[in-house]
Amino acid sequence: MARSLTGTRIRERRRGKNLSQTELARQVGISSSYLNLIEHNRRGIAGKTLLAIAENLGVDARSLSEGADRAHIMQLREAAANVPSAEAEVDRLEEFIGRFPGWARLIDEFQSQSKFQNETLLALSDRLKHDPFFAEAIHMMVSNITAIHSTAGILSEGDDVPPDMRRMFLDNLSAESARLAKTASDLIGHFDTSEQAEQLGTRSSAVDQFFETNGFYLEKLENSDADVRDLVEGAGPLSDFDRADLVTTLTRYQDMARALPLDPFLDRCRELAFDPLRLALDRSVPLETVFRRLTHLPRNELLPEFGFLKVDGSGGVLFRKQLTTLNLPKFSSGCPLWPVYRCFGQPGQPVRAIMNTPTGESFLTFSVAKQQPMNEFGLPPSLTASMIFTTDFAAFVPRAERQGLAQLDVGLHCTVCPRLECSARRSGYILG
Amino acid sequence: MSKKVLLIEDEPHIVAALRFLLQREGLTVFDHGDGQDATQKISELIPDLVILDVMLPGRSGMQILQDLRDDKHTQDLPVLMLTAKGQKKDREAAESAGASMFMTKPFANEEILKNVKALLNR
Repeated sequence: MARSLTGTRIRERRRGKNLSQTELARQVGISSSYLNLIEHNRRGIAGKTLLAIAENLGVDARSLSEGADRAHIMQLREAAANVPSAEAEVDRLEEFIGRFPGWARLIDEFQSQSKFQNETLLALSDRLKHDPFFAEAIHMMVSNITAIHSTAGILSEGDDVPPDMRRMFLDNLSAESARLAKTASDLIGHFDTSEQAEQLGTRSSAVDQFFETNGFYLEKLENSDADVRDLVEGAGPLSDFDRADLVTTLTRYQDMARALPLDPFLDRCRELAFDPLRLALDRSVPLETVFRRLTHLPRNELLPEFGFLKVDGSGGVLFRKQLTTLNLPKFSSGCPLWPVYRCFGQPGQPVRAIMNTPTGESFLTFSVAKQQPMNEFGLPPSLTASMIFTTDFAAFVPRAERQGLAQLDVGLHCTVCPRLECSARRSGYILG
Repeated sequence: MSKKVLLIEDEPHIVAALRFLLQREGLTVFDHGDGQDATQKISELIPDLVILDVMLPGRSGMQILQDLRDDKHTQDLPVLMLTAKGQKKDREAAESAGASMFMTKPFANEEILKNVKALLNR
């Protein structure tokens, strides 16, 4: 079991302020030898003493007692695993984050960028292999170049080309050059970066960026008369696809806000213990509408915070709201044991389960898969699945009820999941 | 009597250049641009050499080659394969299908002439 590093954090913060142990102990009203024991994690600390130390150090007490969040730690563990030759001291990670929070944030940021670039490269590589336009364009360009190369060779080799043939070859050269220029231009257009998110087969990041910038509660859209296009116009330059995608997403938000106005909904939430299924029945709306309402609540200490993940049958991420404690995939490849993937097997049947991660967090999850409207006869259904999840459930789900819920031991991603015997494992554990 | 070369290629400007180069060497050149009935064309003409593009409309050069090797009348016919793909596995696939020689586009004129002569003199 990991030991508490509250003392280590206190020591680092004290040193950062150039305070001596004696001076801080005097300010807090304890002996310097006792503070020394605390700083070496040999004595537990909580309550008034912790609050007094935090106050004298000018920091929040929780930052001393809780340390770094799990997502931050996982990110740095992944960074260490990616470069094993560096032999980073993974067992001292919390201490590192406590002592050098700025450097830790920097590595975290680099790791995020590296992951995003790797995912983009994989998507691009996959695209190059399977993109029919690209294959056709390359074939055409090779044919153009072959014709030009061979014809130019004939014209430059000697004077034995009769005038009529010379004229024909010059015309051919001109035609092939024009075709080559056209193909090259089409190819550049095809790879226009503004369209890349759409063409990579990944969800546009414009929606992600919009919610990251504006938060997930959009007060303007709670007023049903607001025009979503005003918000979209304020989102800066967007490709046609991104603009349409954002309009669709925000219109869906507005429909949700109309169906479930915030204040009466919150009243019912308190009475129905934030149970989405009971809320859906109570309000006569689809379960996914309640999922969205719970995802888009104002930030308030008294309200549980819900994350959200919506995926399609290929695992592609259609919408996500992260909680800092759970790293959601950007493109795909979450843990296949997550209930959001499992519920594809029983569309329409809501699933409630506690999801326990290897890092010790527990999430109350609600998931459901639903069939998409079909516009053709005779094909199997196309499904999407949604999951909301929260760590803030102890307050509204009684202990007895929690104990009766399905408990799922899951991972985040196989590469960082220590459940080595997992039957769903699809890649090796790289931190072992 | 000059030797007959059948050029099965759907790009007319490549055909024009190759036709000129081969005729200048004293060869009789025929061409055909469709994969669908290429085998029939070969059977009718019985050329001394086939220059066969891999990517053709109607039927791939590789399928045409397999037909030729399955037919006792054409199983020994020299076939020079042309392709835009130059990877080792493509070369191996062409050779295992019975190609006499394999060239990657774009090619140099002197190189294809050298290979044509080598195949005709076998």
